[in-house]
Amino acid sequence: MTAIARARAPRPDPFLDIDNYDPEADLMVMNLGPQHPSTHGVFRVLLYLDGEIIIKAVPYPGYLHRGVEKLCEKLTYAQITPIVDKNDYVAPMLNEQAVNMAFEKMLGAEVPPRALHMRTLIAEIQRVASHLLWLGTFAMDLGGALGGGTSVFMYCFREREAILDLFEKLTGCRFHYNTHTVGGQRHDIPAGWAAEVHRVLGAISDRIGEYEAMLSHPIFLKRTKGVGVIDAQLALELGLTGPLLRASGVDHDLRRDAPYHIYDQIKDLKVAVESDGDCLARYKVRVAELRESIRISRLLVDNVPEGPICGGRPIKQPGQFKAKAGQVYVGIETPRGELGTYLIAGGGKMGDTPYRLKIRPPSLHALAVVPYVFPGHSVSDAVAILGSLDPIMGEVDR
Amino acid sequence: MSELMLNPWIRALFWGLVMITGVMTVTAWSTWFERKFAGRMQSRMGPTLVGPLGLLQPIADACKLLQKEDLVPDSADRALFNLAPILTVGFALGVAAVVPFTPTMLAADLDVGVLWLLALSGLMVFPTWMGSWASNNKYSLISAMRAVAQGISYEIPMVLAIMVPVIMTGTLSLSDMVADQQKNGWIIYRLPLTGFLAFVIFFLAGLAEANRIPFDIPEAESELVAGPTTEYTGMKFGLFYMAEYIHTLLSSAICAAVFFGGWDGPIAPGLHWMLLKSVILFVFLTWVRWSFLRLRSDQLMNICWKYAVPATLALIPVTAFYTVYAAGKGGV
Amino acid sequence: MGWFDATFKTFGITLKNLLRKPSTVEFPAVQRERADRYRAASFALLHDENGEEKCIGCKFCEWICPSQIIAITATPKRESPFTGKKRGYAEDFTINLQACIVCELCIQVCPEDAIVMTRDNEQPGFSREDLVLTMDKLYANEKKTRLSWHTGAGLMEMQNPQRGQEKPAAAGAEDKPA
Repeated sequence: MTAIARARAPRPDPFLDIDNYDPEADLMVMNLGPQHPSTHGVFRVLLYLDGEIIIKAVPYPGYLHRGVEKLCEKLTYAQITPIVDKNDYVAPMLNEQAVNMAFEKMLGAEVPPRALHMRTLIAEIQRVASHLLWLGTFAMDLGGALGGGTSVFMYCFREREAILDLFEKLTGCRFHYNTHTVGGQRHDIPAGWAAEVHRVLGAISDRIGEYEAMLSHPIFLKRTKGVGVIDAQLALELGLTGPLLRASGVDHDLRRDAPYHIYDQIKDLKVAVESDGDCLARYKVRVAELRESIRISRLLVDNVPEGPICGGRPIKQPGQFKAKAGQVYVGIETPRGELGTYLIAGGGKMGDTPYRLKIRPPSLHALAVVPYVFPGHSVSDAVAILGSLDPIMGEVDR
Repeated sequence: MSELMLNPWIRALFWGLVMITGVMTVTAWSTWFERKFAGRMQSRMGPTLVGPLGLLQPIADACKLLQKEDLVPDSADRALFNLAPILTVGFALGVAAVVPFTPTMLAADLDVGVLWLLALSGLMVFPTWMGSWASNNKYSLISAMRAVAQGISYEIPMVLAIMVPVIMTGTLSLSDMVADQQKNGWIIYRLPLTGFLAFVIFFLAGLAEANRIPFDIPEAESELVAGPTTEYTGMKFGLFYMAEYIHTLLSSAICAAVFFGGWDGPIAPGLHWMLLKSVILFVFLTWVRWSFLRLRSDQLMNICWKYAVPATLALIPVTAFYTVYAAGKGGV
Repeated sequence: MGWFDATFKTFGITLKNLLRKPSTVEFPAVQRERADRYRAASFALLHDENGEEKCIGCKFCEWICPSQIIAITATPKRESPFTGKKRGYAEDFTINLQACIVCELCIQVCPEDAIVMTRDNEQPGFSREDLVLTMDKLYANEKKTRLSWHTGAGLMEMQNPQRGQEKPAAAGAEDKPA
């Protein structure tokens, strides 16, 4: 039996038999290890290799665990936003949005229409920035730190810098803004911001064509076509969401199917779906999402309604938000999938901090795919697949 | 002075020193050029701090590498570990001996120059393998396996592709080849135009031998840290790094000499033409490096065995028949 | 064939970028222009128009800081030499810049607009003590650094213009939605 055939033969669940696994004498055990030039944070995958083919892969997340959820149990609702900001450190606006939506649902706080509009707008702009970063790092995984991949990486980051400058004009920080609050936003749109947004996003949409041209080279197609196929059944079983699910053929997007904020007011929200489930399909889905987000942002930035940006009281006093006992779950669509916030509030004397704040990170489910998809591929493919899954270890480990 | 130069040992020593100094200096500044070029292509500045335009950057790099701690892993094979970088650079520099810069500026006018350079290119696979075996490191092992497979596979199209100019010019000596091109036209456009395809294949095979993108999977940083050189620090790593650049530069020089006519040019043939052609080819190589992604190991083996080898095998009889036919009809 | 076409396109794009002006600058010789609202991880304590310290030692900022980097020792209320009224003072005010997450919450909660952030983001030091700002350094920063735009009142005004000047209620009050 050839190595590939042996690797692709039906196998029992890799986690059920991990203690009884009997490594064959000719398999080499190698760590794709927590320190790794592959650009995905600290993540370890234990690979059992036969030559270059992976026979078994065991992922070990948890190197970036910082105890965020436990920390949030002793922080008041006003203080949680800047902490949770650091989970998905590539798209921080969406972390803040998820958590504050849960708080508002729990506290019954009303969000004024201007804030809802602003939230949707900056979430979409953040999605553009996140996908640009993904594109750059994916090309770098495929093409190498000293090669063509770095060129694409530099171009993408050049565009992303422009978006970060936009956010700096809005909030004062390029990263980790702490601009969402319970009941709305903390920073209002400055004068001239809409024109800046148009300029920046217009430039990006012109240049995406360039990067796509650079990446429609046969070398890229060879490296990504047929690599890391996740079929729809596996995706649904493992709880994949977002671009991963859509690239496997399942048409599900929270912005369209369970709209929150003003997503139901956006006409023809095009949701990109591909059916191959390989790295190329995930690439196509994300680039299509990038374009769609640019279109939505340019649409939304022109007609922001007037009014206050924060319903309820702005944060002026520690412990001013007190919740009654209860539980609430809110899920939003981030560039990685469905980011869920499950909040249990204590009520009474424990009303100003959450009893339990659980964050459902989409990247964790993406990494669950690793033992099923890696076997049968070579080590280079493993790196490409990991890149296309777009895991952010900050939110995987919290 | 001229009596001294008649002594073959003195001549060898002199030319050896000239070649080594020249090649190492050009290599050092080619790293500067590569970084500047890559920087500009990526919308950023390259080195700017050390010297005007960053021109003293190679000196800074050399000093940095020299002052680093010289680590030999505990479980490594010391002798092979220390020998590998020296051999790599030695073999790479050896190729410089036969490159015909001008009719008189040639370190060793071998009758079998082509054989010499192919042999040394082939030998360069050994120190790569030696270095990673001696490192006792799984990442190096995988890289070395890929590097060896790639190296020995791409020698075949390299050897076969360079047979085309050999057949067309009828000699294995590089300086005679250039002289022939001066008389009868450059290989690249000589009939039956197999020279162009042979050049493309030889060029790609040279890229593969030097482990440059798009064939640099052995040293794929995003997967395997630094490939066969993972455990090397300081100047030993510097030697490996330099060997890659020397190999690239000399590949472009050989291509310029063998396919593009060397020192020949429309006006005033001389050293400047040779240098100009080598530089253009090196710039092109650098451009390729910073524009493309890398091919996976089995994909590049596919290209070698399924496309390059049959193509060159087809080129040789075509060239041979044409050369004999044209000679029979009074040409060449 | 796909190879030639795509290869030429790729070369075209890299050539185009080669000829563009680089988008990086030689920092720190050239500094980039920061936005108006830029905030950096450093602080200043302000004096009011009489020259008196604005900080009344209420400890709201110490309470609200998610990273707990502020440490304040407040004195009992004493008479102010300027207005004659009894007000609180802070005897000791320490901010540990090493753990600041630049969240701006301390600015927002300050009822007296006493603390602001600065625009000078380069705060290197040779020892850890250099990164712990004591009260004298904080008050000196008022003149030494460029201050950021925001104050507690400014942020309140931006977030809820109708109720911008509302004084904070006593601790334990019920939260009323808008």
